[in-house]
Amino acid sequence: MQASEERWLIVAFLLPTVAFMLLLLWYPFLQGVWMSLHRWPFMGDPEWRGLGNYTAFVNAEYFWVALQSTLIYSLSTVFQLAIALVAALVLKQRFIRWRTLWRGVMLVAYAMPPVVVGAFWLFLLDPGLGMVTHYLIGWGILEEPIYWFSDGSWAKWIITFVATWTFWPFMFLILLSALQAIPDSHYELAEVYGANLWQRFRHVTLPHLWSALLVVIILRLAFNLAKIDQPFQLTGGGPGYETSILSVLVYRFAFMSGDFGMAFTVGIFLVVFTLVLILPFAWLFQRQFRPGH
Amino acid sequence: MSDRATGFQRVLAYAGLIALLAMVLVPYSYIVVTAFKTPGEIFEVTWIPEELSVDAWREVFAINEFHRYLWNSLLAGVGCAVLSLLISVPGAYVFARKNFRGREVLFYLIVGTLIFPFILLIVPITITWIQVGLYNSIVGLLIAFQIFAVPFSVWILRGYFARMPRHLEECAMVYGCTQFQAFYKVMLPLAKPVIVSVAFLSFLLGWNDFLFSNMLTTGDGPRTASVAIYVATAGGERIEWEVMMVMTLITGIPPVILYMIAQKHLSRTFST
Repeated sequence: MQASEERWLIVAFLLPTVAFMLLLLWYPFLQGVWMSLHRWPFMGDPEWRGLGNYTAFVNAEYFWVALQSTLIYSLSTVFQLAIALVAALVLKQRFIRWRTLWRGVMLVAYAMPPVVVGAFWLFLLDPGLGMVTHYLIGWGILEEPIYWFSDGSWAKWIITFVATWTFWPFMFLILLSALQAIPDSHYELAEVYGANLWQRFRHVTLPHLWSALLVVIILRLAFNLAKIDQPFQLTGGGPGYETSILSVLVYRFAFMSGDFGMAFTVGIFLVVFTLVLILPFAWLFQRQFRPGH
Repeated sequence: MSDRATGFQRVLAYAGLIALLAMVLVPYSYIVVTAFKTPGEIFEVTWIPEELSVDAWREVFAINEFHRYLWNSLLAGVGCAVLSLLISVPGAYVFARKNFRGREVLFYLIVGTLIFPFILLIVPITITWIQVGLYNSIVGLLIAFQIFAVPFSVWILRGYFARMPRHLEECAMVYGCTQFQAFYKVMLPLAKPVIVSVAFLSFLLGWNDFLFSNMLTTGDGPRTASVAIYVATAGGERIEWEVMMVMTLITGIPPVILYMIAQKHLSRTFST
């Protein structure tokens, strides 16, 4: 039996968080689910369709194209992780001079709003006047400019690249913090036992890093899949549907065709898709660390 | 390991550092160079401008009134951080350290919303904001930011509170603290690292946001720097790249400075 004082504290403390969650997240979300079951034109009367929107979406010609580009775009999480891990391991070393300065430098891409970084890469990759094309042709790697943002086979990789360049410092930030917390004595001990570089990474670094690794993978997968501003800014979802990752597709339906029913259908599908990608990592995370125990 | 690093290890680490610096700094330096070019030279790929020009810098403040947008961004970042702490800290504390029925379910209902695409919520939110008069106001913007700030703050805060020693509150209460005082006087000061970290990360979310700032504000409202920059690029026929690069540079500085301040706390927060 809890003291009544404690019960009051629980209720009072939970109230803002729970009220917020219901009003700002779950209410609009469930409203969206409801809308996805209708034909719901902008400025028009909704009409019940049941699961009609969903079958229409799955059978649409752009369905597989959009799904493929979404998968490629979510690969960005892997690239971000690779860069962030290297950066964190390097900038943890004590013998590196001016470490603090370099750590700040690593952060500049993430410190700028993503649309700003997007605009900048639009400039750098411009086929006519951009730096990248200029050098690639100058060095004889390319014969003629590539239209990165409108060439179907390049565009989805380019938006993935820009996302990687923009967002990897978030992972770096958290991984470096986790690395810094590993006591030196652990490494010294490992050295006494004659562990080599790989063994020290495998048996000292990795176990300490595990929790942080899972956190950044889960967070970035979720954030990347919800990204809309930057990929939309770079390609507008085109050419055709080549770079219409699911979140961009939501935007296209909602704000360009005014078809809220379809927009929310794609949105709900995206939620399920994200959930499927994240679940294995969430399961690993829960297994190794149970809060409150 | 650091003191007795082998030569091989040093070479490896410095090679990695150089590669990383090149990846970040080559594009970034080009922003800096471009910011000092004259409009005519923008379209030539050169690293040393023939003529140094500060016209772009003057234009950013005198004509574009960029300081106005920067101020809005600052309000958005700081406000987002403060509000998300106010909403998440008490909840996360209770989720981590009190037992009650439905705890896990409620917790996952909050953290699970991390996977909601924000774009999905923006239509209902915009409609509601217009109805209740929060549209085009800084308060409305700050509340909307909580959609992505709160779930992730609650998650990080709860993890930290849960790792704190088990009987802290009981000890405090033995010394005569009430439940609330135990939280306020003992737990909160001990949780300073995670509070600073969450504040910093929430600040970044508010400072960098484009989607909500763009949808929920208009030109004469509390428009933030990121939207102002976007508008500057998406608008006319000819993009003034040099002006854009100046705005980009300025907007990128405050988060880096804040990171330098928050670094120590971040490393305490994300250790296992």
